[in-house]
Amino acid sequence: MKRRQRGGMLALLTAPLILFVVILFLWPVARFLALAVDNSDFSNNLPRTIAALAGWKADSGLPGEPVFAALVEDLADARRAGKEGVLAQLVNQRVVGSRFLVIKTAKDAADGKLTMRPVRDEVLSKQGGWKNIDLWQVIARQQSARTDYYLLASLDLKRGADNSIEAVSADRAIFVDALLRTIWISIVVTVICAVLAVPLAQAIVSAPPAWSKLMFALILFPLWTSLLVRTVIWIIVLQKNGPVNSTLLGLGIVSEPLDLIYTRFSLYLAMVQVLLPMMVLSVVAVMRRVPTTYMRAALSLGAPWLTAWRRVQLPLILPGILSGGAIVFVFALGYYITPTLVGGPTDQMISSYIAFYTNSTLNWGMGAALSLQLLMILVLFALLFWTASVLFRRKAHVA
Amino acid sequence: MRTYLQAVSAAAICLATSTLAASAADPVTVVGWGGTWDKAYKDGVWDKYTEKTGVPIVMEEWGGEVAKVRAQVQAGNITYDVVSVEAPAMEVGCAEGLFVPLTPEITGDAANYLPGTLHECGVASDTWATVLAYNTKVYKGDAAPKSWADFWNVEKFPGKRGLYQQAQFTLENALMADGVKREDMYKVLATPEGVDRAFAMLDKIKAHVVWWSTTTQGIQNLDSGEVALSDGFNARITNEAINEKKPYAIAWDAGFFYGTDYWAVVKGAPHQQAGLDLLKWFSIPENQAGFSKLYAYGTGRKEAADLIPADWKVNLPTSPEHLQYGASYDNDFWTEHKEALEERFKAWLAK
Repeated sequence: MKRRQRGGMLALLTAPLILFVVILFLWPVARFLALAVDNSDFSNNLPRTIAALAGWKADSGLPGEPVFAALVEDLADARRAGKEGVLAQLVNQRVVGSRFLVIKTAKDAADGKLTMRPVRDEVLSKQGGWKNIDLWQVIARQQSARTDYYLLASLDLKRGADNSIEAVSADRAIFVDALLRTIWISIVVTVICAVLAVPLAQAIVSAPPAWSKLMFALILFPLWTSLLVRTVIWIIVLQKNGPVNSTLLGLGIVSEPLDLIYTRFSLYLAMVQVLLPMMVLSVVAVMRRVPTTYMRAALSLGAPWLTAWRRVQLPLILPGILSGGAIVFVFALGYYITPTLVGGPTDQMISSYIAFYTNSTLNWGMGAALSLQLLMILVLFALLFWTASVLFRRKAHVA
Repeated sequence: MRTYLQAVSAAAICLATSTLAASAADPVTVVGWGGTWDKAYKDGVWDKYTEKTGVPIVMEEWGGEVAKVRAQVQAGNITYDVVSVEAPAMEVGCAEGLFVPLTPEITGDAANYLPGTLHECGVASDTWATVLAYNTKVYKGDAAPKSWADFWNVEKFPGKRGLYQQAQFTLENALMADGVKREDMYKVLATPEGVDRAFAMLDKIKAHVVWWSTTTQGIQNLDSGEVALSDGFNARITNEAINEKKPYAIAWDAGFFYGTDYWAVVKGAPHQQAGLDLLKWFSIPENQAGFSKLYAYGTGRKEAADLIPADWKVNLPTSPEHLQYGASYDNDFWTEHKEALEERFKAWLAK
């Protein structure tokens, strides 16, 4: 009875948190991600046309009168429901240059300007754009309220003329490269952070308390500065006539200013600077719990310092490196302002595309598909980190 | 439930402050492009409105992400009243029903507006131009770049040049450099061969370009000497040259394209009517001119231009001496082709 009461109490206490996470985080994220496969704006707004197109094949030429009559009815309804803009955008994504064709035809249809019979001739004479077979092929394919269009596009794939999956042309293929680049940049940043953070953490832990506090404050200080400021400072420091280049020139190390900014190098520099504190904090937290006597014991038993560190200290602080690595990696995956500002044109990461589709072209299907991709990578790497730490713990246990 | 609560709390506040409410009107939230642009609007336009009507204006800043408006409308939690949007976003937003259609009663007679500055859902907030700018200390007198072909000429003008990192502006500049006339621009760009031609031109200077993605960054690259010539928004260049006394000049006769941003009232905004009242007041020429007097962008009403002092008017893209070298961005073209061309541009950049 008592135990049950306590359980109920616990549930009551955590309920606000769980509700908060579900309502304000999981639910909206899930809804946004669902847009990656949603096709209802297409299928719901052209129901009659899509039905009338059943059995139609592209090689049999333009569809007949019933399809055009259905199109006029559907577009008139869409216009009255205020949906023709969304529909036009969807058609235009698939057949570029057809946005205003849809909007104008919908307006004419709703205004009762397309009433002659056969209406097919009237539509074709007023809006010649409907002679484009590609348009009909796209519409005929939208029977379902679900689509794989965005998911395929996010992998540089598309449905070909015969509805089979094929690669998009080389000058359009961007996302796979961008995704691999994003993963690679994140891995490199994580590794650099780990390599830098361990000696730093060691120094903080071994230093006298006053020094340790000061170093800790210095590490934390950048965390309180705005990300944008920290990023823009690198532009000023690394630019052609900036302090770094003028020092190098002044010392005669180089004869011409180096291209430091807008390169992969400057991107790594800026990202590591921003993310390093996370790694240091994580490693320091673990390192503080490791008694210094272990290292001393190893050394007094005759192990060289490096061996002692590698065999005794490193395994003990590895959980800190792994959890810090997971945090840094996850943060790095989502970067897009920093690559845009200090990276070069070949350093753009996948999030900049998500921002482009979500913010400026309102193609939320594409934004959701790319987000889903990123989430998958995240889950995959989270599992990797988790497996690594479990394996390691088991090994440590056996030993 | 939500609206009920809102209504109840609104009623309670009204009761509690009924004496105050008569004097202090609800503020209207106006969303602009930030920085010096917002400041010019505040000093030149909004403060006068508040002085005259007592309606306070709260200014917010954004990057033109019409997605924010869509998200607010879909969530039923609208915080923006009046927003300034770029033309292609205006087309999309207006067609989607995010903005309130404006009547002639609000905007005045359409015949009084410059072409392209009045839209079904908006009146021009500013007409900007993307121009060729250069450093007059590096390129003195006759050595200055005079055309986009010069901009592309890396032998005559060695060193890096700045370009805005997006397809719109850049493709037009590339084709101008390749000798395409401004009036033929969109005939060429509408064909696959025309797009290929623009990218072929871009291939030629790819290794010599420093790309910028925020206006401040573009100016910073000029300031630091990273580049000595760059494309840029005309008012920002003028601002640096005149107010900050920096050695920058604009080659107007190289040719330029101009575009328009619009003020639009968000449908269902908490102060929709106050927003419409604001735009009605803004549609009076004297009030529109308040902005152009402080910031070198044009506005919609033709009469507004006459109210701007001659020595400042020469900095506006819409002034007669410059307009002969300019052409308007084709908003319909960019509304339809933006996504596909930006995708291709990004793919090209990353190679």
